[in-house]
Amino acid sequence: MSRGISLHEGQLMARSLKVSKSTHLVVATVAAAVAANAAAAIQMTGTVGQAVLLALIFVTLAAGTSAISSDIYARSSQTIDNLRSIGASSRSLSSAVFFSVIGYGVAGSALGAGIGSAVGLVLGGQGGVVSLLVAVLGVILASSAAAAVGVYAGGRRTWRS
Amino acid sequence: MAQLGILQRSEISAQGRFAVEVKHVSKSYGETEIYTDLHFQLLKGTFVALVGPIGSGKTTMLNMFAGLDSPTSGTIIVMGHDITKMSDDALGEFRAGTIGLVPQVQTLIPELTVRENVELPLHFAKVDRENIQKKTDYVLEKVGIRGESKRIVSTLSVGEKQMVSFARAMVNDPPILLLDEPTEALDPLMAEVILGLLRGDNLTQEKTIFVTTHDRRVTELARRTLRVKKKIP
Repeated sequence: MSRGISLHEGQLMARSLKVSKSTHLVVATVAAAVAANAAAAIQMTGTVGQAVLLALIFVTLAAGTSAISSDIYARSSQTIDNLRSIGASSRSLSSAVFFSVIGYGVAGSALGAGIGSAVGLVLGGQGGVVSLLVAVLGVILASSAAAAVGVYAGGRRTWRS
Repeated sequence: MAQLGILQRSEISAQGRFAVEVKHVSKSYGETEIYTDLHFQLLKGTFVALVGPIGSGKTTMLNMFAGLDSPTSGTIIVMGHDITKMSDDALGEFRAGTIGLVPQVQTLIPELTVRENVELPLHFAKVDRENIQKKTDYVLEKVGIRGESKRIVSTLSVGEKQMVSFARAMVNDPPILLLDEPTEALDPLMAEVILGLLRGDNLTQEKTIFVTTHDRRVTELARRTLRVKKKIP
């Protein structure tokens, strides 16, 4: 019977590819740092500035997580060859790394956005509660999407090379 | 150039369905020719041994059958699928359901346990969880390593790793088994388990088995023997 990727399967392949707790920590802290700064800064600027900040979050986080993802594959090239010989495809391995890492990216983004919005308020950020919530949500969404795109793109790029 | 002598040529002209069809295959690495214009078929359900000197290209042929190496020219059709035209992803998915491979060099994942290594092909083949458990238990029992299932592979001896590799190749009940010197690293007891399975067992019944070997005990079990005559210069 066919089915999609399971958590256990993702963990198994992530362990095979040596995706360690340190990798998870790097993803979470990078996401948190970018999101915190953005969430603070976004309260000090107008709509155009906010859009620019969100775009910056997306680009920088996507580039960072793509590099992390590429590094995972580059370090495990022999393991990837071994897994290929027993039926692994780039799709299955990319998905495994993606699901293994993405949770930490989202968690880091949420934490960073929370801290950044508090710091922004203390530093005299403008706008009411609603606009603050919208800004924070934007930061979380942009950084989570960037982490997802970066992890996946890094894996695909390395696999093709 | 290595030449392939086929002892049972009746197989070539046999009508019916083939597990592997090799059509005008040539293989070279740079200036070094390994095979030139190979053309033969393997019937489904046959046990074929490939023998020849070390360095004559036996592993290369096995890897080409598995789609891990490509011919320089020509076509290889495995179970009706032209694997020389498949993308990497399509090949991966094809291998997951069709080919059990026991390579000469260990390709187990050292950080995982015996059980986790054996069940990996089932994950790639998208088998459901209940069947993963059932199939893994069955093959571990058959190969006689169920007691070792929780051991981390890096702690196993070379022979034990070979047994795990064998179990992993058979766990998904693939129609084709490709074995590269399967008894080479085994002590007599372990070799006897493998030979017993190759002699005839539920695990190996009706499978097309293609094995490279120097072991006379293995060639005696084979229905056909292909011989690579020359070492690659």
